[in-house]
Amino acid sequence: MRGDLVFGMAGSGGDGIVSAGESLIAAAAAEGYHAVMTKSFGSQIRGGESSCRVRVSTKEVLNPGGALDVAVALNWDDFLKFGAELPVSGATVVLYDAKTGVPPDKLPLVGVTPKEALAVPFADLAREHAGTERAKSSVILGLIAAYFEVAREALLQGMRRKLAKKGEAVVESAERAFAAGEGWAAAHPLREPMPLAQPAAPVPAKLLTDGNEICAAAAIFAGCRFFGGYPITPSTEIMQFLSREIWKYGGAVLQAEDEIAGIGAAVGASFAGTKAMTATSGPGMSLKSEIMGLATIAELPLVVVNVQRGGPSTGMPTKPEQADLFQAAFSAHGDAVRPVLAPTSVADTFWTTVQAFNIAERYQTPVVLLSDQEIAQRKETIEPIDTSTLAVEERRRPGESEVQDYVRFRTTASGVSPLSEPGMPGGNYLASGIEHNERGAPTASGAVHARMNEKRIGKLEPLKRRRDLFRVFGSDGAPLGLVSWGSSAGVCREALTIAQGMGLRAKLLVPYLVYPVAEEMYREFFASVRAGLVVEQSHQGQLYRVLRMFLDLPKGVRSFAKSGANPFLPAEVAEHLHTAALALQREAEDAREPQE
Amino acid sequence: MSTTATQPTRAMEPKEFKSDLKPIWCPGCGDFGVLQALYRALASVGRPPHEIAFVSGIGCSSRIPGYTTAYGFNSVHGRALPIAQGIKIANPDLLVVVAGGDGDGFSIGGGHLPHAVRRNVDLTYLVMDNQIYGLTKGQLSPTSPRGLHTITSGYGSMEDPVNPLLYVLAYGAGFVAQGTPAEMPGLTAVIEEALRFPGFAFVNVQSPCVTFGEEEQQLRAHKTHMKSLAALGHDPADRLRAMALASDYGRELYTGVFYRNPEPGPTYDALVRRRQADLSPGAVPRERVLDRFRQDGGR
Amino acid sequence: MATPKLDLSRLSLKDALDLATLIEEEAHERYLELADQMDKHRTPGAAQFFRFMAENEAKHGAALSAQRRARFGDAPRDVTRAMLFDVEAPEYDAARAFMTAREALGVALRCEEKAYAFFAEALAYVNDPQVKTLFDELGAEEVSHQDMVRRELAHLPPGEERNGEAFVDDPNPQ
Repeated sequence: MRGDLVFGMAGSGGDGIVSAGESLIAAAAAEGYHAVMTKSFGSQIRGGESSCRVRVSTKEVLNPGGALDVAVALNWDDFLKFGAELPVSGATVVLYDAKTGVPPDKLPLVGVTPKEALAVPFADLAREHAGTERAKSSVILGLIAAYFEVAREALLQGMRRKLAKKGEAVVESAERAFAAGEGWAAAHPLREPMPLAQPAAPVPAKLLTDGNEICAAAAIFAGCRFFGGYPITPSTEIMQFLSREIWKYGGAVLQAEDEIAGIGAAVGASFAGTKAMTATSGPGMSLKSEIMGLATIAELPLVVVNVQRGGPSTGMPTKPEQADLFQAAFSAHGDAVRPVLAPTSVADTFWTTVQAFNIAERYQTPVVLLSDQEIAQRKETIEPIDTSTLAVEERRRPGESEVQDYVRFRTTASGVSPLSEPGMPGGNYLASGIEHNERGAPTASGAVHARMNEKRIGKLEPLKRRRDLFRVFGSDGAPLGLVSWGSSAGVCREALTIAQGMGLRAKLLVPYLVYPVAEEMYREFFASVRAGLVVEQSHQGQLYRVLRMFLDLPKGVRSFAKSGANPFLPAEVAEHLHTAALALQREAEDAREPQE
Repeated sequence: MSTTATQPTRAMEPKEFKSDLKPIWCPGCGDFGVLQALYRALASVGRPPHEIAFVSGIGCSSRIPGYTTAYGFNSVHGRALPIAQGIKIANPDLLVVVAGGDGDGFSIGGGHLPHAVRRNVDLTYLVMDNQIYGLTKGQLSPTSPRGLHTITSGYGSMEDPVNPLLYVLAYGAGFVAQGTPAEMPGLTAVIEEALRFPGFAFVNVQSPCVTFGEEEQQLRAHKTHMKSLAALGHDPADRLRAMALASDYGRELYTGVFYRNPEPGPTYDALVRRRQADLSPGAVPRERVLDRFRQDGGR
Repeated sequence: MATPKLDLSRLSLKDALDLATLIEEEAHERYLELADQMDKHRTPGAAQFFRFMAENEAKHGAALSAQRRARFGDAPRDVTRAMLFDVEAPEYDAARAFMTAREALGVALRCEEKAYAFFAEALAYVNDPQVKTLFDELGAEEVSHQDMVRRELAHLPPGEERNGEAFVDDPNPQ
């Protein structure tokens, strides 16, 4: 009995591979499993190489996992295009289409012999039982249901629901294909059966969604009533969701003529008193830089979502990377500091987005929410979220007495001045990108400018003391430390468990607030740390570099960074940590050895 | 979404729109006249300053919001139109005015113009067109005539200018007019009409730069050359004739209304409100926004 | 309507007094604005003179206003500022940075001349005899104002200032 299985499937767009994956994860969620699904495809809009990974588990799933337990290949050319994204190991069961004509002992997998390889006549079974080769996906599902005892009923129900609108005939042929898959599995049992354990009872109802959709849902929850944006992969789903829903709440979506107009309209809406958001990816962030600076100096709340993708420039639109941190923190000209938050999973994207809005409104600042393509577009099961525990904050508006001779940028202890909006009598003021005094009048005075910089940057200091924006896992005084953010954090959480299983005393810090750098939080964490890694997907190791700008890291803490589209595997991170631990031991030995 | 208390309009004084900030424009600048005309037009329309959002970009003329008592937003170069549309969509009860120069509007801002026009958000766009970049000390602008010698075209401009009137007409604007401070009653009148027009309204003001402009571009010259469209017998409902007249931009200074759509359609902001009203019965309480993701049929 | 038409033929004495007051008020405000512009552009000679003119216009306006109150009390006005543009007020175009006091005086002189012309031409359209009398008086006053300005001109040091602009700094890009 296995508690966790990672399925990887590849074929071409016409094979319905991703559909099969979606059906599998939906069924798993319905049955109460935890699951994560990622997909990957070539650059053709349709019909190119296509793949997905579905990890199904009886326990919480923190990341898409490492090597595949089950690999389904409808053809080898397409499967191999996915290289490191679908790693096959000696523990993998490979099910591939007999039509490829490749014998099971001659698979084109370099340097790896899978546990078992079966040539399955997917295409033939589909044609025979469903009348079309395209029904391969249903055969696959039947096979999986039978071999691994996964969610049979849910799979069938899901299939019926999905195909219902295509007509009864289609539904029936899919059911026949499914049954054919099951039948073939029964007739060709695995040498070593690998059934998946049942989820623990009682089975709680799960939510299933992806990072973009949950971000949009969180925005609605947080009171966002204006979205201005432009289509760009991999963030467009946020705009699409809001374009369906936000009107119902008295809000509006403007798909603007370009990225700049999108954020421009959002800043306008915020000036008008409405919680506003824009969403984009790296190239769009570059375009939006100027207006983000405008929001900073005009002290207007704004949430700017960057769903990071491979860069630089056009980069790799469909791949994740974590290389926009420098830009998020530093792209503004001038001394503009704005908070940067990063979720680590689909589940915590909801909470992180709500925090982004609350911080934007409380501190009257643009806030960058740094998601990435993996979180944004992977499907994940989530435990239901009790929204009643989540506070939603409103901006501080001036009271009656404060609009008698209203001073927009009045000096206050917190640095935050009450913010009026057009329509409010007495609150009239001039918002501007030009430097201004307390009243908003343009100024070029060095003294006023220094005070205003102090106000704008100083007001954010309390963020550095927000413990809820940092999570620590593992033992308190551990000498081995991991720091990771965004989608890499989920890999590190699993790596931590593996490392602890290897006997290592380790801990992990996951910052949700990646900028400004909360020096004290890091100092506290690193106090006991002698060696460790900052794990992230960027060539330069951007968080590592930013941390070093603001604090001294322990000598033994190194950057473990990879360019995007080269995912970290939990075992790999654990191994690196192990190596660091061994180096520490040797150091200690050397220190004890008498000098020769 | 709008919580503006829209009080009934009342007769107001122009000075109620005048702020304490003293303009930094050079004495003799055409923009003073535009400002005066704007005070008068706003007084006539009667919306109080706190219900007006006045957005501008960057340039000498973009300083104008600070010289009024309205809520002002002196933003960044070329981006006033998107910002203004965001304001109006978020709160359609506001009177939204946009101002800027010819560079702000037709150079860097040029990409936003067709979309602002075709979207038809209810706002008024005033461009102070002086065929030069005054704030940065006299460079060529997109409306500078071919051959003009400036500090960046020392050998003469090699480009034809844009035609703001023709472009805005071609993009489909429902109200297009031109004025000059050399003829204040007319300028005031077209600004007021533009403010009242339901939809995107455009007024191009020939507002000469006294420091970098040519002698023949100054207001004295306007007085001799300007021609009233009304006096020419032009019918503002005739869009094609308006475009033909607009084609003379650069050669003739026509004042008055080129085009006024006799049957303006619904504005974008009105459509937004209608859609919000139509769809709001379908709203799930925001605390339950995650229900749609349930896998047990709880959608 | 931003610029409602002024119907001179229907002007009553009350209207005429109000009109004259408004004309002075407009001029007063405009001279103050120009004075502010001159201050901002460090042209004190012209600034001082424009403030002097602003005070004069205020005095004239006060006198007319007193006359009006004496005869018509607080009866509501039928004439509004919206009906007139730059009757006696200098046009914005008249001002220039670094203008000399002589040039400023020239501006004021031309304003008094155009104000005189306004009242003189209006006579042809006015029907009410009391209004005619008033306009005659006002025209005469404008002439006396012109004389005053000419006297001020005479106080100026002799000779036209030449080539002043040659010595000023270049404009600054912002």
